[in-house]
Amino acid sequence: MLILQILLNAIVLGSLYACIAAGFSLVWGVLNVINLMHGSFIVLGSYLAWGAYKALGVAPWTSLLIAAPVFFILGYGIQRGVLNRVIAAPVLVTLTLTFGLDLILNNAMLVAFKADYRQLVLDPSLGSLSVGSLVVPVDRIVAMIFSLLLTLALFFVLRRSRVGRAIVAVRMDRDAARLMGVDVPSIYATAFGLGTAMAGCAGVLLAMIFPISPIASGSYLGKAFVVCVLGGLGSVPGAVVGGLFLAIVESFGSLVLGPENAVTLSFGLLIVFLIVRPQGLLGKRGFE
Amino acid sequence: MLGLRFRSHSVRLLSMFACAVASTLTVMTVQAQEVIRFGAPLPLTGPLAPEALKQQQGYDLWAEQVNQAGGMKVGSKKMKVEIVYADYQSNTPRAVQTAEKLITQDKVNFLFSPFGSGAAKAASTVSEKYGVPTIASTASSAEVYDQGYKFLFGTFTPNDTLTTPLVKIVKQKAPEVKRVAILARNDLFPLAIAQEMDKAAKQYGLDVVFFEKYAINTMDHSSALSQIKAKAPQWIFVTGYINDLVLIKKQMEDQKMQAPVVTMIAGPAYKEFVTATGKTSENISSAAWWHPAERYQGQDIFGSTENYTKLFREKYKAEPDYAQASASVSGALFQMAIEKAGSLDRKKVRDELAGMSVQTFYGPVKFGPNGQINSLEPPVFQIQNGQPVVVYPAAIKQGDFRLGVK
Repeated sequence: MLILQILLNAIVLGSLYACIAAGFSLVWGVLNVINLMHGSFIVLGSYLAWGAYKALGVAPWTSLLIAAPVFFILGYGIQRGVLNRVIAAPVLVTLTLTFGLDLILNNAMLVAFKADYRQLVLDPSLGSLSVGSLVVPVDRIVAMIFSLLLTLALFFVLRRSRVGRAIVAVRMDRDAARLMGVDVPSIYATAFGLGTAMAGCAGVLLAMIFPISPIASGSYLGKAFVVCVLGGLGSVPGAVVGGLFLAIVESFGSLVLGPENAVTLSFGLLIVFLIVRPQGLLGKRGFE
Repeated sequence: MLGLRFRSHSVRLLSMFACAVASTLTVMTVQAQEVIRFGAPLPLTGPLAPEALKQQQGYDLWAEQVNQAGGMKVGSKKMKVEIVYADYQSNTPRAVQTAEKLITQDKVNFLFSPFGSGAAKAASTVSEKYGVPTIASTASSAEVYDQGYKFLFGTFTPNDTLTTPLVKIVKQKAPEVKRVAILARNDLFPLAIAQEMDKAAKQYGLDVVFFEKYAINTMDHSSALSQIKAKAPQWIFVTGYINDLVLIKKQMEDQKMQAPVVTMIAGPAYKEFVTATGKTSENISSAAWWHPAERYQGQDIFGSTENYTKLFREKYKAEPDYAQASASVSGALFQMAIEKAGSLDRKKVRDELAGMSVQTFYGPVKFGPNGQINSLEPPVFQIQNGQPVVVYPAAIKQGDFRLGVK
């Protein structure tokens, strides 16, 4: 029964990891930008959910409707106004730029909200579902469903819509896409906007589960990084598979080797994948 | 003629410059004489920032009181106090460099330790090297004080003074509690206190059915909590800092974990813990080195616990907790030692601290031969109706220990 409970915990956690990583993976895969602001965007999304619930009583799943467009515009603006200027430069330049922007954003949140931990406590609490001795908290199930829906939506946007196909085309061959009449800077901004919107929405969902503080951004970024490498860059199904894989390894690693080794295990896995299978579980080198 | 005029002009300029330099130097000398500088390396940014802020509030309140009273008496003159803060960004190796910089570059007279046992121990090497009396206001682990250092003092009693009274109360109030599960943050203080709990539980005949550590920055504890739940403990004992404990309490509730006794150290002493966990914090027990409900009369600048709490409330519009009180008393102890020594001589002040036996708003203060305080009886408390209520020691008890945490 303990094994089943741990597997259940891992599946729920894995889908949250997928949501954390999907936007990061998109931006990294398409733009070749390692967006170090991703963790801070997630935290900002959590604050949005927390504020909306506290001030107006808006439930987090409703806040998604506000978060998605707001964060899309924010991301679009940052890419158009700042990142596009150095997008052709080596990856270290964009990495340094997003690092700097992250310092500004994170410190602005520290000034605005302080480093104190806040918790979005739903009243009444959603409780937990029990089947025999197995227990799953409902807020995690809600977050899981919404995060899978969001990830699925992103997948369909990339697969079915014109913009999505253009994003994939730019990822495959930027110059060929330009020759086909794709407005590359605008596609970059759209991709970055989508990645930011995913981060903001993940933050909204995570607010129900984890304490909120600007300090948490590093942990989210770390998870996103590992999930991307495990699942494969730029691949939405890869984020889901990578997220589930990471959560299962961490949870069972915690059972077998003790909880103190769970984090070490996930980063150990990152190193192994980088050496043995750098394209990740589902990724293919260079194109989707 | 022109040359002469030029020369006299230059002489005038030079003499003006000399006067300016001389007067600046005089001002600097006066300032240097009138102000006593205390260095405080703190993790003002990064994961430990909330803890650093508490220490800062404690030091600032003390410095403000001293300066409002015209300064502290050093021999025949009154000297003001200045706290020189330096941020080490929650990065322990940098805490050591920061402490050294405060001593060598900022020329502080005395030092407060960086936050927590790990950083305090690391930085104590530097203050010992330069012979700078240092008070650690947030370091309790005995390992900090086992290096034979002469210049390090600490205002937290050893960790077992927190765990042993807890075990005694639980034995007395709930003799049916036999199975204990311990989950500890893998960090110097939280791990040390968990190990003390393990020792005390075994000593009093309890059965420790689970004892595991979790890594710093763990985001999800559900796997560890499922393992604890499978062991059906009657007492769940968790250590960590406020973020860990808020997260763990939430996830315990998610997994419908209940136990007659749940103890968490060191979060529940902070108001933020109760705010973040809401009703689910009811009946969680904890222990700390100080509580505003205590009633001590002191010889220090604050006079009494009541007065300290009042001044704190006026300045910060909040209740003080042990972290702020310990920081304030560290300043007050320096003040008493300096005033008694009648000088800023580091060796003399160190000797005064070592031989000190005083009453303060924080409780009786006397340092053991290793520099750690050995005169305090830390209170045990429990969250009841959303408020921390002292349940031990009997002299300051506000309520009875209750069983049942949902």
